[in-house]
Amino acid sequence: MFSLANLVQKAQQFIEPALPISNPTSSDHRPSKATLFRHQFRLPDSQSPLQEITAELTLSPHHSTRGTAGDPTSQEKELGKGNHYVGKLHLSEQYLCFSTQASSFLNSASLTSSSSFTGQTHGAGPAGNGFTLPLCAIRRVERLHSQSYMFALAITTWNGNPDTKSKSAPSGQRLTIQLAGSRQQCERFCDALKKGLREGVKDVENLRTVVGQCYSEYLLLDEADEASKQREHPDTGLGLIYRYPGNARKLRDATKIRLWKEYLKENGRTATLIRQPTFHKLIRVGLPNRLRGEIWELTSGSFFLRLEKPKLYTETLAKFSGRESLAIDEIEKDLNRSLPEYPGFQSEEGIGRLRRVLTAYSWTNESVGYCQAMNIVVAALLIYMSEEQAFFLLSVLCDRLLPGYYSTTMYGTLLDQRVFESLVEKTMPILWDHLVKSDVQLSVVSLPWFLSLYINSMPLIFAFRVLDVFFLEGPKVLFQIGLAILRINGEELLDATDDGTFISVLKSYFARLDESAHPKSENPKLRAVTRFQELMVVAFKEFSNITQNTISEQRAKHKDAVLANIESFTKRTSIRNLGPDSKRLNIEDLGFLYDRFYAVLYERQQRAEILQQEANRKAKAEKSKAATIVTGFSGENVQKGRVALGPSPTQMDYDAFREFLAGIAKWAITDSPSSPDTNTLQTAHSYFGGSTRSRPPSSPWGSGPEPADHEFMRRLFRRWDVDMADSLSLQNVVSGFAQVKGTKDIMANISYFFELYDDDGDGRVDREGILRISEALLFLSRRGFGDSASPSASMTDVHGGESPERSNRDEHFLSSVSAFIRRCFEYADPDHPSHQSNQALNEANEDLDNFSIGADDEDDLIDLKSAPPSPTVAKSSKEPSAQASVQRSGLDSSNPDSKPERNGSEPSIKSDKVKAANAALDPNKPLYITLPTFRMVILADEVLEQFFEVGFASSFRLASTTHSQLPMSSNLTTFSNAGKQVSAVSAGLGGVVGGAGAGVVPPGKGLRGMLDNIVSDGMRVAAEVRRRMEEAQKEMDKEARYGRDDEDEDEEPSTKDADLLEGAETAGVDTSKDAASSAGLLTPDSSLSGEINPNRNRSASDASRKVVEFER
Amino acid sequence: MADSGATQPKPSSSVKLVLLGEAAVGKSSLVMRFVNNDFQENKEPTIGAAFLTQKCNLPTRTIKFEIWDTAGQERFASLAPMYYRNAQAALVVYDITKPSSLTKAQHWVAELHRQASPGIVIALVGNKSDLASEGTSDAADEADAAPAADGDAGAEGESTDARRVPTKTAMAYADEEGLLFFETSAKTGQNVAEVFTAIANAIPETSLKGPRGVGGQTNLGRQEDARVNLGSARAEGPKEGCAC
Repeated sequence: MFSLANLVQKAQQFIEPALPISNPTSSDHRPSKATLFRHQFRLPDSQSPLQEITAELTLSPHHSTRGTAGDPTSQEKELGKGNHYVGKLHLSEQYLCFSTQASSFLNSASLTSSSSFTGQTHGAGPAGNGFTLPLCAIRRVERLHSQSYMFALAITTWNGNPDTKSKSAPSGQRLTIQLAGSRQQCERFCDALKKGLREGVKDVENLRTVVGQCYSEYLLLDEADEASKQREHPDTGLGLIYRYPGNARKLRDATKIRLWKEYLKENGRTATLIRQPTFHKLIRVGLPNRLRGEIWELTSGSFFLRLEKPKLYTETLAKFSGRESLAIDEIEKDLNRSLPEYPGFQSEEGIGRLRRVLTAYSWTNESVGYCQAMNIVVAALLIYMSEEQAFFLLSVLCDRLLPGYYSTTMYGTLLDQRVFESLVEKTMPILWDHLVKSDVQLSVVSLPWFLSLYINSMPLIFAFRVLDVFFLEGPKVLFQIGLAILRINGEELLDATDDGTFISVLKSYFARLDESAHPKSENPKLRAVTRFQELMVVAFKEFSNITQNTISEQRAKHKDAVLANIESFTKRTSIRNLGPDSKRLNIEDLGFLYDRFYAVLYERQQRAEILQQEANRKAKAEKSKAATIVTGFSGENVQKGRVALGPSPTQMDYDAFREFLAGIAKWAITDSPSSPDTNTLQTAHSYFGGSTRSRPPSSPWGSGPEPADHEFMRRLFRRWDVDMADSLSLQNVVSGFAQVKGTKDIMANISYFFELYDDDGDGRVDREGILRISEALLFLSRRGFGDSASPSASMTDVHGGESPERSNRDEHFLSSVSAFIRRCFEYADPDHPSHQSNQALNEANEDLDNFSIGADDEDDLIDLKSAPPSPTVAKSSKEPSAQASVQRSGLDSSNPDSKPERNGSEPSIKSDKVKAANAALDPNKPLYITLPTFRMVILADEVLEQFFEVGFASSFRLASTTHSQLPMSSNLTTFSNAGKQVSAVSAGLGGVVGGAGAGVVPPGKGLRGMLDNIVSDGMRVAAEVRRRMEEAQKEMDKEARYGRDDEDEDEEPSTKDADLLEGAETAGVDTSKDAASSAGLLTPDSSLSGEINPNRNRSASDASRKVVEFER
Repeated sequence: MADSGATQPKPSSSVKLVLLGEAAVGKSSLVMRFVNNDFQENKEPTIGAAFLTQKCNLPTRTIKFEIWDTAGQERFASLAPMYYRNAQAALVVYDITKPSSLTKAQHWVAELHRQASPGIVIALVGNKSDLASEGTSDAADEADAAPAADGDAGAEGESTDARRVPTKTAMAYADEEGLLFFETSAKTGQNVAEVFTAIANAIPETSLKGPRGVGGQTNLGRQEDARVNLGSARAEGPKEGCAC
């Protein structure tokens, strides 16, 4: 269900061309020449019109159906005698086609030419009189010496199975074609034909196979000689075993067979069949049972598909043998109830055939799979055709004749219902008004007619008569029949005022189709006319103006409304079916998530396609530069259409998830968009790897902002991916959001966050995890939170110098995060059993302390709030962790704060408490925090508390405020430094750690020990850096101190930009030194600083960011 | 159950009823049982929707059901609004041997609650109760607790208990949503008539259009085929069809 929206979007493209028969290959509104050509001659998609020329086809006189069988071996064909047809001769890669229908596609690509293809209902079908001749079926082409024509070709065909050794049928049929064109034209045509014929030789084998399965071969061979009598009767469907429906005598089957035999003898059969007016007439009166399948195959064009890939059916079955799918489950359910009244489908034989055909098709077209009603249609086909024939005919039905009928949204069905309604409105306004007034919905009645091709509605024998014409003349037949049904029953229907009566009128009509239409007539001939015959006459005479063109115009007209309806239904259902979690989000949010989810997937798919095309074009361009522009574009169109037919994605991978988040949360937008000059760190994760140069001009992220790639996002992705599928469905996303946003309970939010970092789910987060949490907090907070200001406003904030208030908040957050780390380590539990008892005591104490701390923190916060938004503050804000912890321990003197007066007292004594806490920081003693500890630490800080209460949840912006698509890149350049620094730092750390850690034996067990090692290594590195800087520290420190003092007093940065800049720079360096100073001097402290080091660096970069802004 | 003609002395009103549910849970069979008192093993799948009518005699009135029996396959879902439009009652069917069909039924209930006419009476029906052995509904509770274990038990065991949805579960859900609840067997006919009677009783008197007099806009007072229901209970008001 979730995939429907996308399908609909695709369907939009799919129907777009407003084609009589859907044409996925052209993206403009007019069908392409090639499509028209293929549809006119019912050729496979591999064919395209190469040559065309006006020509006159001459068939020897006996080719007319005079009733007496002419001698097929007769050679006395004379020009000027026999039947002449003037039309167009077309040549494609593998076919030579002729039609008397106006079939010039020269100035095609217009709807006018598509109308020519539709044909009138009487006499000429879509393909008119003529032939569709596979080149491999041509045995010889001679150029005739003729006085009257410049070019005359005599074509001899294989006429039937090419390996017939039969003496009595030594030659195939001969047709003479005069080309009417300039000498050049003719010669070009003939050259192309020659080439095609040469190519065609290799297809002869296929032709032999395919033709051998046709009944007409058997029928005509019968009288030839004894040898051919031993030929096996070809499979002409289940009817051969279980009898064909209807009374053969009543259907005058024998007469029909005789007439067809004559016709086929004279006009060629299977591949070489020539369509003359009699052909259409013979189809109109109903096909004989054994020939029905073959003629369906020929008129629908599925014969040519089979000719192209004769083994496709068996190969598909073999390839997927034993595999299971949803479609197969659905097929199984319906096998026993497909035309169950027909004896063939009460047997395992018939059921088996049906199963195989439906299954094979579901594999070849997985986006359609299986749709109820296909079973009925296929069951009907199987009465008259072999499995293979039915398989290919089903393809033609789904792809061309009934586009979108059986798709997962059934948009084709719904659309054609709409079209049918509008045709009723147009042709029978009174009835239509009546329907509207009585509130009868026509489509509830007519939908099954179209969906199962009347097979379910009419008695079988009549439904097959409709099908005979349908395959020849196309989908318009369904409309014509439908209109005629309503017209004939108009009087009665005008009396019906509800669905029930309406349906019963039609039901009883269908039940009496075989009765006389005029039972009381004096005229016996008139009395003999059955209701069905009347129906056919009304359909094809009265509604002869309903052409394929009419249908396609109407389809184009109603397409949008129908698709919009489906979309809204799909969305509604899909949202409703999201499960219990979705109840925690409001409808608008769900709608928003739905739209956003599928928009991201859809856009990504589109982009991937365009990029693919770019790549293709580039590849082509390397070969030949000049001509590619044109071909490239056409190739693009083809590509687009093709993919539109494929299944649509419903799963979101990690990259898509990032993009999805970037549209919803500010923090998910990267700080350093990968412009061509970005560093490799960024491009490494980018969608296109490091190949920035080969990247096409359009961003891989489309018009939206480039998403960030942070560990937190990955964790979120993993957390939401409950099925471990490495991708998210809409359901996953909604459940995820429900957990984040659906609760107003701060405790729940805190636990959620904790669980995100509790990798092994044991209720503990270790040292590394704590650091990661704090990193994530900073990551999430770096653009502020979802306050009342719109994201765009916040963005501009960042861009154009920060408002004091905002930057204040940032500082507070920074300090809170630092405090968080400090406290975490302070209250962490050592991961060692022997410490447990001590720890319990400690915990108790700490719990007590914590309350008083809360008050302290508030003071602290007030202090900070008063501080100006200057680099100094940025710097001082790096300290509060230390500050806080010291305050907590009640020893102000040991505060390693950067303020001068405090600095002085730095090397003072630590309290026992601090020592105890620091003991927990010993890298050799693994530690962890539990959820209660985590909770306590969070609640101890107002800012963090707020963050978990509202900040985090509201950082996702759903329906209420749609995230505006800002041109972010310019703004974001300010962040790129910060981002780079951060990543550089972490990368650096990681690298060193990897090296150093390798040599150290992990003190703990397993992963936990490893992590501890990593942390301690990181600290060692940090300590090393600090020691080196120690020398310069003191002077710098002083310098910075003065600068800071200045700024503390002066809140007008504009007055001394230069100074500020300098100050800021020092501050940037200073902070780390500061940290180092305190860390380097005292061992316990050093380990502590080591822990926070990454964050300090972050703060530092934060400072430098501000510097840059001031500079600007 | 044959229709006793269009001239009932009791007040008569028609009710549009729609059947929804997963494919092959037995919607059509239920209707066949109710309308024709007949059961066909191989029922043709419903294409779009089938339309049938049947009367239900209550002590005080007669309800004529206009039944829309919809196709169950997922992709037909987008056609469903066409059928449940204006419906006054709905039968949401699941298969007691298939837990997933109950989930689907729940989706339909939600859809109906949100999209269908406000006062719609919904009955949740667990069909194929003939496949469960007697009194297993409690045992099935336990089986449900260990669903993996009893996967094939029904097929192989002599008990031939294929029940996979405990009565309790479905009933609890029905209570929660305020639905009528029944377990039926279209095959044996068990409870089938009861479902429709219960629905007929549950339709509030006020939502019925009452006996139809003359006066519908296109009312020609024609004589209906007795098999066919005489009118719809739509908003257009009283229509022909009943003598009183």
